[in-house]
Amino acid sequence: MKWLATYPERCVGCESCMLTCSKTWFKEENKELSRIKVLQKDSGYEINVCNQCGICIDICPTLALNRDASGVVRCDENKCVGCLMCAGFCPTESMFIADQKDKPFKCIACGICSKECPSQALELMQD
Amino acid sequence: MIKVNGEEMQWRPGLTVKDILEAKRYIFPMIGVWINDKPIPRDKFETTIVNDGDDVKVIHMICGG
Amino acid sequence: MNKMKLLAEWEYEPVKIQRGYAGRTLYVNVGGFSFKEKPVSEDMKEKFIGGRGFGLKLLWDAVKDTTKWNDPENELVISGGPLCGITQYPGSGKCYTVFISPLTEQTYDSNAGGHFGPLLKFSGWDALEIQGKADRDVIVFIDGDNNKVEIYESPFEDVNAFTVTEALHEYFAENEEDKRNISVVSTGKGAENSYWGCLNMSFYDLRRKAPRLKQAGRGGGGTVFRNKKLAAIVVRKRGIGPTSNNPADLSTLQKVGLKLHKEIRDLDDQQNKMRKVGTPHLNEIMNEYHLLPVHNYKFGQHPEADKIHSEVFGKLFTQGIPDGCWHGCSMACAKAVDGFELKTGPLKGKKVTVDGPEYETCAGLGSNIGIFDPEWIIEANFYADHYGIDTISSGTGFAFVCECYELGFLNKDITNGLELKFGSKDDLMELIHRIGRGDDEFARIVGLGVHRMKKIFAEKYGAPFEVMEKIGMEGQGIEVSEYVPKESVAQWGGYFLTLKGPQHDEAWLIFMDRINKQLPTFEDKAEALHYFPNFRLWFSLVGVCKLPWNDIEPADNVIKYKGIEAAKVPEHVQNYVDLFNAVTGKNITKEELIIQSEQVYNFQRVFQLRLGKGTRKDHYIPLRAIGPVFPDEWEARAEYYDNELKATGIDPEGLTTEEKIKKLQEYRLPQWEQLVDAVYKRRGWNKNGIPTIETLERLGIDYPEVVEVVKKHLKPEDEWEE
Repeated sequence: MKWLATYPERCVGCESCMLTCSKTWFKEENKELSRIKVLQKDSGYEINVCNQCGICIDICPTLALNRDASGVVRCDENKCVGCLMCAGFCPTESMFIADQKDKPFKCIACGICSKECPSQALELMQD
Repeated sequence: MIKVNGEEMQWRPGLTVKDILEAKRYIFPMIGVWINDKPIPRDKFETTIVNDGDDVKVIHMICGG
Repeated sequence: MNKMKLLAEWEYEPVKIQRGYAGRTLYVNVGGFSFKEKPVSEDMKEKFIGGRGFGLKLLWDAVKDTTKWNDPENELVISGGPLCGITQYPGSGKCYTVFISPLTEQTYDSNAGGHFGPLLKFSGWDALEIQGKADRDVIVFIDGDNNKVEIYESPFEDVNAFTVTEALHEYFAENEEDKRNISVVSTGKGAENSYWGCLNMSFYDLRRKAPRLKQAGRGGGGTVFRNKKLAAIVVRKRGIGPTSNNPADLSTLQKVGLKLHKEIRDLDDQQNKMRKVGTPHLNEIMNEYHLLPVHNYKFGQHPEADKIHSEVFGKLFTQGIPDGCWHGCSMACAKAVDGFELKTGPLKGKKVTVDGPEYETCAGLGSNIGIFDPEWIIEANFYADHYGIDTISSGTGFAFVCECYELGFLNKDITNGLELKFGSKDDLMELIHRIGRGDDEFARIVGLGVHRMKKIFAEKYGAPFEVMEKIGMEGQGIEVSEYVPKESVAQWGGYFLTLKGPQHDEAWLIFMDRINKQLPTFEDKAEALHYFPNFRLWFSLVGVCKLPWNDIEPADNVIKYKGIEAAKVPEHVQNYVDLFNAVTGKNITKEELIIQSEQVYNFQRVFQLRLGKGTRKDHYIPLRAIGPVFPDEWEARAEYYDNELKATGIDPEGLTTEEKIKKLQEYRLPQWEQLVDAVYKRRGWNKNGIPTIETLERLGIDYPEVVEVVKKHLKPEDEWEE
């Protein structure tokens, strides 16, 4: 299974992962549209990204969520009706919504952000 | 003596909100409890001690249908 | 299935949904095979909002004062409403059926989940109006993809629901994947043979690979459907998505919806467990509080009730499936039993998926008829749906039959061999099949409902009418919906001071009134019987479900809000205000929401009046609904009832139980009259239960033809004294 490991203690909060993610998948640099979220907390940074646990697959009423060959949970946009049950029931709240988008979106473990990260806080894993 | 929804009920030392609900067989999960007009969170029913003379309100929300 | 014979077709122009409305309604006459498109005016949207409001408005324009349920001009109107079909908020796929009821001979409205309402609207129609009577069984097909309406000759020998629904999902879908884009409305033979006909509305369950049925159960809509010789109505519309309803403000829908999904995720397990057991969570609660109807509402509790505990059903229901009856319903109460092998009837031996049972079915086709066997209840639920019979009316109706049987008013000669005692499982199942088959005279009489049974049992079998009047649990011609109302004065009104009879969609006030003691005066009760019926009616105008309103509540609801305010669940009321505004682009307040409802509430009241009902005499209440009738009922709670008597200032000491019962009735009947007065006053009606001209004017429903109906019935002696 492919998934993105996070090391929040190494995160410097530069947000380059978010910008590169939204640029890659939504063609604009906009943190709101990133599939990974970095939040500043009192104790440092918190990184919220899908761990590919797949709980959302059974929540989806339209069978739009499935695991692909590499174990990544992906949303079939043609089947998704934007009901947001997946977002509401995600244990880590890593299925995101944004004002401009009528459907939710999530990390698909492409790993591009991990290459951009200057502090090795993100790592694409395969197990 | 305490009052529960306006009716008198025997008091004993250490009586908790949970004890009252059990004695009255109030098993409905959607209940709000106020003691002397002060709301008691549901997760504190077991640990909240009721004092002699307290006015207890056990409010069942609407159900059915 | 062979190709069906096309009898008529009609093409229409596609429209884009604008802020929750298609802006037009579809008229189909199955008698002459004619079709019409009717525009929706701004006034219609303002005054009638949608859903049941549109249904009533269209029906008003279609019928005469003298129209009966089985006249060709009676209609079946189905309408969703402006919020119907949004995918972001739980419970947003409801539609409402409106018709003149065979049971009550006045307007009735009954709602169902399933995908029909949303798919109808997204096919371009805010409502579907069916008038006329076909000369043979027909199927109406609304093809929302090709903008056509077609009428086919029905090929079905067996018009029962599961057969028809399964076959039509198959027939109109291009492949398995396409079945999700279809919804079928159907009923069954039982709807033909009784006045208890329900309508089944389907959605395709992608995981079970089978159509599921949700019922608009009450009032006999299925009977009207079969009287028109409808075998099915089918809609197909592909490509439904998050913005099919074209809301003014999608972002608000998403935020409000996501908030409720999270609430359900975090709290449902501690609150009502709707996701695991659905409405049967009420089974044990109603039993504990003496509210579970047992033996025709004689008792509120039974020692065997633990056999129908929600945990038992929780194990029978398949867990872990998103059981919403429309997209986005994370409340997921549409539970089902899978792989259930039928033990009786025409489908004996077949393994089926059974929708439900709901609480009211467990109580009606369960405790109320003295049956505490989950498997029996599931089988009865299946056949009731399949034959198109309302489980609530039939439950209360059978309970009445059993009591009459045990009282000796009926016997095996009359019932054609059935021993219809409480708990007679085999014979009661056979009675269901006889209604389904329609080949038995007694079963046909039963299916006419309690109101008519009383009369027929007296005339035909010599049963004492006055006893049956006391124990027949019906009002306005329809059976009580499985909560024991006896001990709550406010709930007498919640059931019997209603627009269409004792159905719990208006108000459920038993806890508030009786346990919490929050409604001490008649004015308090009247206020609750103003607010809650109007608040709850609103769901029927916009196309949403009641359950996500208060079967889940925010964690801090009972901390933040006190008393009756908490019971309103203010944050969820605000959700509905926000949803309405986000879809329509309007800017209503929570107070205006109630006024929207009041407009339709009062319009429907006048409609009943126009059809010869809708006055004080139609708001009658059986004695069984206000207290014990027979000594065993009193003695089952002797201490409680003795105290009730004492509280009225009567010493029960030395009185026989019969005398005590009489005394309590003598006390409670005037209370009922006081309640009626207080409620009528609060609702802006005169002493005879008729909305005053001032009320019509205040609500802007003083249309000339409405005023004319009211004026005909206004009498000076019915005015309130200052």
